[in-house]
Amino acid sequence: MLNIKDLHASIEGKEILKGLSLEVKPGEVHAIMGPNGSGKSTLASVLAGNEDFEVTSGSVDFLGKDLLELGPDERSHAGVFLAFQYPVEIPGVSNINFLKAAINERREALGEEPITAKEFLKRVKEKASLVELDNKLANRSVNEGFSGGEKKRNEIFQMAMLEPKLAILDETDSGLDIDALRIVANGVNQLRSEDRSFVVVTHYQRLLDYIVPDFVHVLYNGKIVKTGGKELALELEEKGYDWIKKEVDTVTA
Amino acid sequence: MDLAKEITKEQAVLDSMRNSYKSAVPESFSSLSSKSLLNLESLEFPTTKLEYWKYTRTGQIANKEWKFGVLENVDLPENLPVSKHRMVFVNGHFDEKRSSLPQVEGLTILPFSKSSVASTIAQGEEDIFRAWNTAMPQDGYHITVSKNKAIEDSLQIVFLYSGENTISQPRSFVELAENSELKISEFHIHSAGSMAFANVHSEAVVGDNAHLKIDVVQHGSEKGFHLQETYGEQGKNCTYMQNTFTLSGNWTRNNSTIRLTDEHSECNLNGFYIPNLKEHVDNHTIIDHEKPNCESHELYRGVLLDKSTGVFNGKVFVRQDAQKTNAFQSNGNIIVSDTATMNSKPELEIYADDVKCSHGSTTGQLDEDAMFYLMARGLSKESSRKLLINAFAEDVLEKLVNEDLREIIEDTIHTKLA
Repeated sequence: MLNIKDLHASIEGKEILKGLSLEVKPGEVHAIMGPNGSGKSTLASVLAGNEDFEVTSGSVDFLGKDLLELGPDERSHAGVFLAFQYPVEIPGVSNINFLKAAINERREALGEEPITAKEFLKRVKEKASLVELDNKLANRSVNEGFSGGEKKRNEIFQMAMLEPKLAILDETDSGLDIDALRIVANGVNQLRSEDRSFVVVTHYQRLLDYIVPDFVHVLYNGKIVKTGGKELALELEEKGYDWIKKEVDTVTA
Repeated sequence: MDLAKEITKEQAVLDSMRNSYKSAVPESFSSLSSKSLLNLESLEFPTTKLEYWKYTRTGQIANKEWKFGVLENVDLPENLPVSKHRMVFVNGHFDEKRSSLPQVEGLTILPFSKSSVASTIAQGEEDIFRAWNTAMPQDGYHITVSKNKAIEDSLQIVFLYSGENTISQPRSFVELAENSELKISEFHIHSAGSMAFANVHSEAVVGDNAHLKIDVVQHGSEKGFHLQETYGEQGKNCTYMQNTFTLSGNWTRNNSTIRLTDEHSECNLNGFYIPNLKEHVDNHTIIDHEKPNCESHELYRGVLLDKSTGVFNGKVFVRQDAQKTNAFQSNGNIIVSDTATMNSKPELEIYADDVKCSHGSTTGQLDEDAMFYLMARGLSKESSRKLLINAFAEDVLEKLVNEDLREIIEDTIHTKLA
């Protein structure tokens, strides 16, 4: 589904991703872990098409399409979804209206009929309950005045509404207490399916107790330096990242 | 030796105007008019050296020979909301046939020429455009609401401008007696392709416990000029609200000056403008807090496209006597192109020591983080931009007194952003 090869990306001339490769097959959940500044969030932003980052070399194939050639909106239409680490507050733009517009623009791009009001409302009700998002919040301006937990729940709600093929969760656990984390993880788990894949970017292992990954990758210095199963996350939790840094730095030296 | 006096630019324009002017001066107003005419002999066009006109050039107005126009059959806009009370003016003439003024107890509506206006509340005699209007006024509305009367329906006033080198000088006066209430929606529409100069002067006197609320929609033409001056005077415990939407026009200048002359009153001045191409919009406001315990709120929002230019100058005086004043002013601008410019200047002059005053001015591009967020959800760049700009405009739109104007305003925003 997703095939990243030797990806290099930089921001303001500083190289962050330095030859990252990753393959994700349908239905798989991949966790990307790593110390601060290793490039985790950069990977998420680059995949979603944030123009602040410049891809200098490498390729990203998504379902046979060259993802790097597509704008953020086209990537969304193709089935990519990014749950933001810091969801943006947009005063005056209604959460619900903007989601409806987003769904319909994708439908139009795919040559489908717009969603009916009835169908849309039904979906809103159903998906909002998935993350226990109050209907009132769904109707408010995008993220405006939401608490940290509400913002993250809103991200998962939007994900559920847009039904992506590949969901990238960028440190969705950051700033969440255990109750909020459970709700968010529960929402994600209900969206897992055979043909939907997840890339879960996180600094902490805890989230992975709830969203159990098929693979855990360690990102360090812009590259994936270690890959393992879910037990790798536990090992990282226990030992920290230093032993990996040492291992890599010794090899490079 | 050449004895012929050199004719100044000012004199040339004035002569051209005088030759075409058909008097609409009510008897009561004639001495004021004569005085202004005399005064005009020494007045000059303002230049950008004057602080008040620093960013707005009047050269294009000064260099033309303006003539007064006639009552033509200019079409009303198709999407004009239906209204029970409607006054139509064409090139400064009252169009009685297309107006409808049902009798309402306590409400008196007359064209200016039939009124008994005898004075002005505007201060200062140095402004040439105001002097023109006072010297050669044309029909605007004269509305009075008597004591304790709240007029349910909103009055719709439509000013149409057309022709080539046509000047119009509507003069209006509205007076609200104690404990009365009135809503007005006012349209100023220049015909497409016309090159008219509308030199509008309106005055409002709001009595104790009275409430006056006005929405103004301005639709200029690609060649025309629109200068609109409003003077307001508020009594005790009263409200004045004015929402100005400048939707189009080659050159627009709005001067709004409100005096709070007694305690516990509230003044609201709001505006939205969305110039494109090479359009120029200038909003100058003055709110004068003369007495204690009054409030003023100003919210002006602008979206500047293409090579347009915008000016906002908001002056707030808080006089020594005006303790416990609350004065808030905000001007926000979104510059959508690299070639548009905005000059925003808040000016607070505070002489009292127990007051709450704030002003804020922001001018910037569209929020890039918000753009990316919306696009990452599947909205195109265009749709994201529209959504953000509409949300920005909504801050002013939600102040609308006459909600039925929303469609006209939103249509123009959509067209301009397309």
